[in-house]
Parts: sequence; C-alpha cells; structure tokens
Amino acid sequence: MTTITGGHLAAKYMQEVEKVRIVFTLSGGHIENILDGFTQYGIKTIDVRHEQAAAMMAHAWSIYNNEPGVCLVTAGPGFTNALTGIANAHLDNAPLVVLCGRHPLRDDLTGALQEMNQVDMVKPITKWCATCYDVKRIPEYLNIAFRQATMGRPGPVFLELPPDILFAPTALEAVSIPARKHHKSVVSPDSTELEDAARLINEARRPIFMGGSGVGFSNSRQSLAALIEKTGIPFALLNNGRGTLPDSHTLCINDGGFTSIMTGLPQADVIVAAGIRFNWVLQSGKLFPNAKVIRIDNDPTEIDRNRPATVGLAGDCDAVFKQLLPMVDDRDHSEWIGKLRKAYAAFMTTELAQRENPSHPIHPNRLVARIMEVFGDDAYYVADGGDTSYFGLAGFLSQHKSGVQVPAGSLLGCLGTGIPFAMAGKLSHPDKPVIVLNGDGSFGFNSMEFDTCVRHNIPIICIVNNDCAWGMIKHSQEISLGEDRCTCSELGMRHYEKMVEGLGGYGELVEKDEDIIPAIERAVQSGKPACINVVTDPTVTSPATVIFYQNFTGL
Amino acid sequence: MRFSILLFALAQILKIASFSNSRFKAYINKAQTRILIKTADGKRARLFVFDKGKVSSISGDRKDFDAALVWRDAATGFSVMTSKYPDASFNAAAEGKLSVEGMSVYAQWLEDGLKLII
Repeated sequence: MTTITGGHLAAKYMQEVEKVRIVFTLSGGHIENILDGFTQYGIKTIDVRHEQAAAMMAHAWSIYNNEPGVCLVTAGPGFTNALTGIANAHLDNAPLVVLCGRHPLRDDLTGALQEMNQVDMVKPITKWCATCYDVKRIPEYLNIAFRQATMGRPGPVFLELPPDILFAPTALEAVSIPARKHHKSVVSPDSTELEDAARLINEARRPIFMGGSGVGFSNSRQSLAALIEKTGIPFALLNNGRGTLPDSHTLCINDGGFTSIMTGLPQADVIVAAGIRFNWVLQSGKLFPNAKVIRIDNDPTEIDRNRPATVGLAGDCDAVFKQLLPMVDDRDHSEWIGKLRKAYAAFMTTELAQRENPSHPIHPNRLVARIMEVFGDDAYYVADGGDTSYFGLAGFLSQHKSGVQVPAGSLLGCLGTGIPFAMAGKLSHPDKPVIVLNGDGSFGFNSMEFDTCVRHNIPIICIVNNDCAWGMIKHSQEISLGEDRCTCSELGMRHYEKMVEGLGGYGELVEKDEDIIPAIERAVQSGKPACINVVTDPTVTSPATVIFYQNFTGL
Repeated sequence: MRFSILLFALAQILKIASFSNSRFKAYINKAQTRILIKTADGKRARLFVFDKGKVSSISGDRKDFDAALVWRDAATGFSVMTSKYPDASFNAAAEGKLSVEGMSVYAQWLEDGLKLII
C-alpha cells in the first residue's frame, strides 16, 4: 500500500492530469503540505509578497499561455488579500484556479485562527466555488474546478482545502483519479444564422471586425487570419484578443489605438464583434447606432446585451470563423481602409507630433515612442494606470499574441495589475523583452514584487510614467472641483528607482528626452529586474480622462 | 466671410441652446473645455468656451484650446459644417480637408452636442 497525504495528492493530480507547470503563491501554515507536494511533483512555485499579486499573475499566466492559471493562498488574510485579483479575473472571464487554505474542519465554530466563511465571500466573484471535506475526493474536486474554469465562458474558480485533509494520509490505491476528458461536442449556430451573417459580410461596404478575449482564448489565429484576409475587413483586436493576429497586419487598425475605433465604428455599416462585450468601454454599443451588427460569443446570453444584434452566432470563435469561411466572398476593402486610416490619422495630428518631437518635461506619448524605438514589435508590453493605460494602448505595438496588455483598462479598472502581468509575461516568454509602463500611482500597489522578481530572476523592465499624481483623478478634479480644490490626488516626486535598487534590481532616474533610450539600454544590459523612473509632464491629460469624467457627468 | 458668419451664428445658437434646450443644458452642465474652429491659415477662427453650463466665444486664432478643428479652407469648412450628411466630417478628414489638433475626443464631444440642437 502506498500512502499519500492530501497536499501531495493534490499536487500529483495537478501535475499528472492537468499538466500544471507553475503555481503562484505565498506560503502559510495551513497550506504547507500542498506546497511540499509541489516540490515533490516538480511544480514550479513563484512565491510573491502579497496574495493579490499571486492571483493577478495566475490570471495573466492564463492569458499568455491559454491554459488555466493556478494560485495557492493561505487562509484568512491570504484569502482576503487575493480577492481583488479574483474579482479582476471574474470580470475578465479568465480561467483562474484559486486553491485556498482554511481553518481546520475540526475547529469549526471554536474561534479558530483565521476562522471565517470564505466560500460565501468569494461566491459572487467566481464561476464555481467549493470546500473539499474528504482527502480521497481531492482529485475529483480539482477535476471539477479545472473543468469549470475552462469550459464554456471561462472564469475563476475557488477550492477550499482544509488542513485536516491536506495533512491527512490516505492509501493511494483507494483514491480514484479522474482523467481530463476533452469532449468534442460544441455549441454551434443555426445554418440560417450563418447564412444571414455571411450575406451581411458579403454586402458590406464599410465593415469593421472587432475581436476581444473570446478570440484570444479560442486558439483562432489561423481561422481568423483566413476569414479576415478573404473578406478584406479591417480589424481591431482588443483585451486578451490583442495579438491573435499581429498589430503589423495590413488590415489591422490597432496602430490608431482607441482613436481608430472611435473614428471607425460610427462610420461602419457592418460590425462583426467576436468574443467581445459591449460594455462601458464601447459605450454599450451606442457608438454605432445605425450599423448592422453580427455578434459571435460562446455565451448566447451575451449576444443581445446592451445592443441587439442583427445576427447572433452562438459558439466558439474559432469554430464559427471556420463555419463562415466557405460562405463569405473574396472582397477587397482597400479603398475603405485607406479612407479610415487617413481619417483617424487626421484626428491624431497632435498625438503623432508628440511622438516625433522631444519636449521638456517629457510627454508620455513621446516616452512610449522612445520605448518602441528600443524594442520594436518583437516584445511584450503591459501598461498600467489611468492616463498611462491610454498612452500605452495608443502607442505600443507587438507582433505577439497578448503582446500588448492593458489590464487596468478592463471592467474592474484595477490599477496595480501591471507588474504582476509583466512578471507572468516574462515567465511565459523568458527570451523576449517584457516592458511594463506604470503610472506612478499604480506602481505603488505591487512594487514590492520587485523583490519576487529578484528572488526568482524575472528581469522585467518597468518604466514609470511619473507625473507625481493620480493623474486621471487629479485632472478630473481640476475640471469638476477646480484646480485649487484637488484632493487626495497629488503624490509628489518619489525615487521609485532607488526603491527597486534597494530590493536588488536596477534603477535609473530620467528627466530628459535624450536620456530615455540610454537608460533603457543600460537596464537591459544589467540583466536585472529594472525600474526606469521617468519624470513626465504633470499637466498632460489623456483622452481617457475626458471619457472617464464624461461618464460621471450625468450623475 | 461666409465661414466667419457661420462660426458667429454657431456661437449664438450654442448660447441660446445653453439656456433654452434642456438636453443640451444637461450635456454641457459639467463640461469645461475650449474648442477652436479655424481655417488652416488662421485667418478665420473662433474659440468656443464651455464652462460648466455657460457658453461664450472669442473671435480670432489662439493657442489655448483643448481641441482645434482645422479646415483646409473656409469654403470647405462651410460646406462640411452645413452638410446634412452625418459622415461629412469623416470624409473631410479622410480627404485631407480637416484635421484635429489637441484632443480629438473634445471635437467628438462638440459634434455629439451639436446633434442635440441642430
């Protein structure tokens, strides 16, 4: 008879069946045995300094690798610290598997250390949550958790593992380990709906394709390329769909950032929206009142949300693209695309000039352009902040899937995501540069993770767009309250680069345009996790602030 | 001349709407922005100032704007701004007859506001 503890059994199942390679965690007494199991079964662990970062890194891992991201946190504060990251994954539909410690079952209602009802707290922000009560059923519970996270519309799941079962020995022969099955049945749209969609595409004169996270999660690179290139439709890929086709594709309009979308959508006669929600970012679909809209989503309830679709196709993006491909005509929309490009360039006159011309203080658009000069599109970029997210989204271009990530721009608007996302990006693509453009405000949330970067040799390059303020809030307050009444939005000049140096990384302060590129090059040469603290113009406001402010003007 | 008159007339329409059109009043209630409309040579220009519900305008070319709609010439500006076609501005931009300096989001804001009153 072979004896195995619950923690080791969990690790064995995850390694052998779910093929888990890495777990993001922070240690704790309740979860010691499962951590030891990871050592036993060769699962890499990245231990962070705050559980929020563990959840965010696991979330990001799922995006960069198209597989579930796993984090393990301890009970009580470990759990509550992770909640922001779980909520972010929930609103982002990311397949995050959260394993969590708990006070012992035997101590229920006795006032045990960290005794609290975690499951009820996490229920509204997970797709599925449960507590496992029997050591022999750990693999079964994990099997359910991974299926729930990944099947249909993805989302975070939460499994509570009490120490009574993690430390408990059991006979391995008595445990049933379920296989990971991949069923071939899929949800598919009706043929008449496919025909309707194809007819709209074939008759379109000014079409635009928008792809979101559903495109990214569906492994649709080949089918999307075939559909786009056959129909000749200009496209923008957003959220976790960004980079499914490279930004340099001749039909891609991502080079115009949000301006190209805001300019193009109101002019489009047909919009194909795949795996993307019409939420506040897209003004709930009000941007294009007259367009005919084809919506593709694996969740049928999403198709008419906020804006009724002309045709709704329920199904996985990759499968639907393949179904549409033989039904659509070879088209050439180069005249429309040329017009669209010229129009959005005309609306970006100042932005394009800011990228080209040095200024003092440094303009954030110029900073982004200089970063792109160093790394080009063979790199992974993350932007994090309010205005900083806009500047990154507008200026970064990448040839890689998920090569430009702006996680703070998703529904939770969660600042602090940048450093954990960049770390997961670097772990996923160790041979490529990974750059995070951080606002100085958002830098504060997870900057202690530079310690994690140093301990685990994760040489990300963080460039702080330092305007000495919570810029988006400050500039909104200047409009709403007046410049003399701004409150709680100033940060002051801080030497974040010295903080990173103190943690064992590389740091430099930059105040002049001509120093940006040399400083970045020295950071790369150092081979260390690096922070380049760039002092930028504190008076600069981004269009995102205006939209953010307008969103509250009706209140 | 017609373009300058159009800009002057637009200023009067905006002012009247700012206290007579309830939807427009609500729209500009919290806005604080300066939008310039001008010809590329700067000879014809008017700055529209929106200050939390109040609208005013100043004739002449200026630099202190949040966004500037720059028309290639006065005739183009007049014909596009008085066009009944919703895609007239887009087409003008695509044809090099219109550019936006500063933050185009404010220009879009003005265009959406004008739809409420014209």
